[in-house]
Amino acid sequence: MNRDRPHSNLQHSDPQIATRQRWMGVLGRAGGQLAAYESALKEAEYRLIRAPEIGMTLVRGRMGGTGSPFNLGEMSVTRCVVRLADGRTGYSYVAGRDKQHAELAALADAHLQGAEQQHWLSRLIEPLTAVQQAQQAAKAAETATTQVEFFTLVRGED
Amino acid sequence: MNAANSSQWLQPAFNDPVLDAQTSFRSALKALAEPGVAQPLNRALALENLHSATYALCLAFLDSDTPLWLASRFDTPAIRANLAFHCGCPIVAEREQALFALLDERELADLSTFDNGTERYPDQSCTLLIQLDSLSGGSALRWRGPGIKDVRCVELPLPLVFWQQREARSAFPRGLDAFFAAGEQVVGLPRSTRVLLNAEEAA
Repeated sequence: MNRDRPHSNLQHSDPQIATRQRWMGVLGRAGGQLAAYESALKEAEYRLIRAPEIGMTLVRGRMGGTGSPFNLGEMSVTRCVVRLADGRTGYSYVAGRDKQHAELAALADAHLQGAEQQHWLSRLIEPLTAVQQAQQAAKAAETATTQVEFFTLVRGED
Repeated sequence: MNAANSSQWLQPAFNDPVLDAQTSFRSALKALAEPGVAQPLNRALALENLHSATYALCLAFLDSDTPLWLASRFDTPAIRANLAFHCGCPIVAEREQALFALLDERELADLSTFDNGTERYPDQSCTLLIQLDSLSGGSALRWRGPGIKDVRCVELPLPLVFWQQREARSAFPRGLDAFFAAGEQVVGLPRSTRVLLNAEEAA
C-alpha cells in the first residue's frame, strides 16, 4: 500500500491530520536513515513518556482490496512516545524491532508539530521522501524488467 | 477525548514496564494470599491524587478487557488520560459494568451495585481498589480465614458501614475482593476472609 498517494482513501479528511499521516509514514519507512539526524533531533530536551517497546500486531488484508478481511499474519512493531520540554508530544509506531528508529521517529513527530514545522519538513521529511521515492522507482524499474507479456493469437475463424 | 487534547496530561508510568508490572502483580497476589499484611508497592510514581501504590495496582491490573469505574475524586483529566494511555482500559459510568473500581474512603457507604459475580462465575466479580490515607489507626478488628493462622488483628481506618456493606454482598463463592492502598503499601482483603466485628464471634 502506498500511503503517499495524494487522494488515497487511507488519508484522513482533515488536511492537518493527513499531513501528519504523511510525515509519520515517511518516518516509519526511514529506518536507519534517521540516524543521520540524531544529534539535531536530540538537541532539545525531552523525556520518554513511553520508552521504546517491541510488540506484535496482526496484519489484516482484503483479497483484491475489496474482499472480506482475513488475517494475513503477525509482524513485530516498535512504538515510542516522547514529550519535549515545551509540552509537545510525539508518537511513533514503526515496523520492526529497531528501538532507536522508534525513538527518533517520535522525536521528529514532536518537532514537526511545533512552530518550526516548515524547517523540519524541508530539512527532514523532504529529503527522506525523495530518497524513498527514488528507491521505490528503482525497485519498480527493476521489477518491470521481469515482466512477461502474453500474446494471444487471433485464430481468424470468421 | 482524542489524543491531541489529552497528550498534555501524559506522564511516564513504570520505568521498566515488564519487570515493574510483574513485581507489582506479585505484591498484589501476596497481599491476597496473606490478608491483612501490608505489602510494599512502590514501582510507580504518584499520579495527581493517586498514591504510588494505587497507581501501581492500576498499571498492573488494568487493560482493554477490564472496564473501570472511577470515584469522583479520581475522575480527573490527568488520571483518565494516563489510564487510557498506559492501561487502555475502558472507563464506565455504570457501576454494574465495572470489573475494577477505584474508590476512596468516601465511597464505601454503598457497595450494593458493584457486581459480586455469579454462582457459576464468581471470578467475574468487581475488584475494589480502595485508596486510604493510611493503613493503620482504625479500630482493631480480628480477621480470620485462608492465609491467616488463627486470627490476625488489622487496624484499617474504615467506617463500620463498609463492613456491613461487604457482609451484605457476600454469599460465598460470590463476593467482593478488595485492595487497600496507601502511600507505597497495599493490604488485601479477599472475599474468603471473615472479619469479626464483635467479641462474641471471637470465642
